[in-house]
Amino acid sequence: MLKRELTDLWIGGRAFNLLLIYSALLGIISYNYSFSHDLNRVPAQEAVFEMLKNATAFSMFIGLIIGADSISGERDRSTLESLLLTPVNRSHIIIAKLLAGISPWPAAYLIALPFLYVLAQGNAVLGPAMLWGALTGTMLVLGYTGLAMLVSFWSSSNKVSYFVSLSIYALLLVPVELSGDGPDITGEFLQWLNPVSAVNYFLSKYLLSHRPVAEYWPWLVSSALLAVGTVVLLLKFAGSRLRLEPGLRRKIRVALRNVIGLGVLVGLFAVTFLVTPSYAFQTGTGRGQEIELSIDSKFKQVKMGEMVKFSTTITNRGVETSTPLIVALNVVTLQPNGKGVDPEEWSSERTKYIQSLAPDETIKLDWLITTGLHGDYIIYLVVIPQPASPEATTFPVASSSLYLTVIPTTRLQPAVVLPFALGVPVFLLAITFVVYRRRRQQIDIGDPL
Amino acid sequence: MITNSDPVKSISQPEILVAEGLRKSYGPRKALKELTFSLKAGRILGFLGPNGAGKTTSIRILTTMMEPEAGHFVIDGISSEYPEQIRQRIGVLPESLGFPKQMTGLEYLIYYGQLYGRTASKATEKAHTLLEGVGLQQRAKSLIGSYSRGMKQRLGIARALVNDPVVVFLDEPTLGLDPRGQRELLELVQRIARDGNASVVLSTHLLSEIENICDDVLILDLWQIVARGSVSQVIGRVQKNIILKSVLRIHVPPLSVTKAREVLETMPNILRISQIGELEGSLSLELMASDNGDMAVAYEINNKILSSLLRAKIPILRFEVEGGRLQDIFLHLTEDVIQ
Repeated sequence: MLKRELTDLWIGGRAFNLLLIYSALLGIISYNYSFSHDLNRVPAQEAVFEMLKNATAFSMFIGLIIGADSISGERDRSTLESLLLTPVNRSHIIIAKLLAGISPWPAAYLIALPFLYVLAQGNAVLGPAMLWGALTGTMLVLGYTGLAMLVSFWSSSNKVSYFVSLSIYALLLVPVELSGDGPDITGEFLQWLNPVSAVNYFLSKYLLSHRPVAEYWPWLVSSALLAVGTVVLLLKFAGSRLRLEPGLRRKIRVALRNVIGLGVLVGLFAVTFLVTPSYAFQTGTGRGQEIELSIDSKFKQVKMGEMVKFSTTITNRGVETSTPLIVALNVVTLQPNGKGVDPEEWSSERTKYIQSLAPDETIKLDWLITTGLHGDYIIYLVVIPQPASPEATTFPVASSSLYLTVIPTTRLQPAVVLPFALGVPVFLLAITFVVYRRRRQQIDIGDPL
Repeated sequence: MITNSDPVKSISQPEILVAEGLRKSYGPRKALKELTFSLKAGRILGFLGPNGAGKTTSIRILTTMMEPEAGHFVIDGISSEYPEQIRQRIGVLPESLGFPKQMTGLEYLIYYGQLYGRTASKATEKAHTLLEGVGLQQRAKSLIGSYSRGMKQRLGIARALVNDPVVVFLDEPTLGLDPRGQRELLELVQRIARDGNASVVLSTHLLSEIENICDDVLILDLWQIVARGSVSQVIGRVQKNIILKSVLRIHVPPLSVTKAREVLETMPNILRISQIGELEGSLSLELMASDNGDMAVAYEINNKILSSLLRAKIPILRFEVEGGRLQDIFLHLTEDVIQ
């Protein structure tokens, strides 16, 4: 069955046609990076990251097209009944269709590799991007193809199947924007829940911000759950219940609703413990003053010369009104033997003054800095309660740090990209032509009637 | 009203299909009530019924596409509790059968042969044999998308035979075919039963053809059986039970109508002569019924009428007794149940 499904998909033309369009799109995107004045200054890591996102998104779309047609299409074309009339196990039919449905992914991934290579421009990001791109892409494509197959299984027609699958695809691709990286549990949970945005978040932290995998692996949970969950549902439910009529029986609908509800609860619970933002609230006490200081970002990555905005929140947790407070900005380079940074070169407003804070009063301060040389930096704020007298002392309170990575700008040359942008689609076209020609030799055109 | 006529018994023919008490509803809507029948090996059973009578539901249950609410059936000794094993032993041509357009006929049959467990070489050999049997050998390597409707139906029958089934279910196999195509296909059906010793369940609306090729007939209406048995027995028994007055239908050339009327008006047993529809030359003769309903007397009267017309040298294009065709039986039985 698998051999037949693969033959239908590849020799029949759908897979090659979709991959041709996919390779042409990747070629256009990569050429645009070199040709556009704005885009060709994008750092290599960012270009690779964006290409990986696009390749995965298009591959998921290919999986959608194939998965959404897999069962409802057979019903519409009246070919499902003859298949169900054979003694073939229903689960085997589902497995064969699923494996055939994800078969374009390895080809799509291989097609993306030359584009990743040329955009990486020798940057070390290429290796990790290839590895994690393969892993995360496989989970997403498998999960989404399986999801489209489930929709196809339940849909009353192919049109409904395509519509629902496309709607889910559009929903998954809508980015869930958080307000910076601030402590927004709901927004972060939604971002975690969406497998596509969660994977993109993970990749951005790993590839762009050089964060360790151990710190962000929970962001891969939702995509893994999607992949495993859809496969289990396909085998357990769709496999044994595959029949001519579409739709779910009532008790299965109820069971599915319970499973989804339970999944949402588990997800909420999981993200509370796994992904709770660990924003550091530093509390300092200074002789009866309890000042709480937080910064709204943990890390950022920018190009040389770009501006960085962030905010600090200062709260008086004490029982008395505070003395006047001075908030000072500090920038420290992480490069060993690197030169010291004069914050005044980065920001025209290095300190800010707060008259006082009543008990439980909070104030938010905005900061704007302009980056200097490329490198890794730590930015932190210090709140200094004004001493009562020249002879008195005070206890400054420091915030958690903002890790700032400043990237050198690079330029991508069109002449370097063009051979790949044209060559890959042409190569694929040549393979398609050879396959079709071979197929044509196997069949007898004959008289139409 | 159910008329039960036992099929002609043959000690050498076992019952290949036995269905008992099959029932099916779609929510509050009934689809099948207490379907019970049997089919012997090598016989062709005609499955008749108006639209919505339960034919397709019955076939879907018997081919394991659908589970009944009650009842069970056995095919070739295999109980309905083992649908995968039953599917191994049956062949089916569904009413609406689609084909993959990008496969050739040969590839299609090889594929299904392999799905039934044959090796590639054996499946290929069988595919060639089947294509030859259905007359598609010349188009074996053509894409199915280039086949005509009739060719696709023949390919469908070939696919239904790929696993050497003991029972073949054909649901409206002549649908959409021209008269020649219908005849060729039905001849093929007869060959299947005769040469392959496979039993055939043929669901069709072509009542005239059912009369010619089916051994047994089962008539469904309003989800239940209204008649079953061999074709001749069902016709005979029902005809005897229902006909209160004899009606003959004759068809003569339009130019002979006047002369035919003159001859017929002289005959004592004819109560009324009327034209059938707008077709000139088609006449309906209402005859006086015999007192005791004796069919032999009725036949003698029919013979006298026929002889009179022939002596008058009137060409007879058609001469038939109303209620003597399966179509008449079918229409009467199904109308009777509705009333």
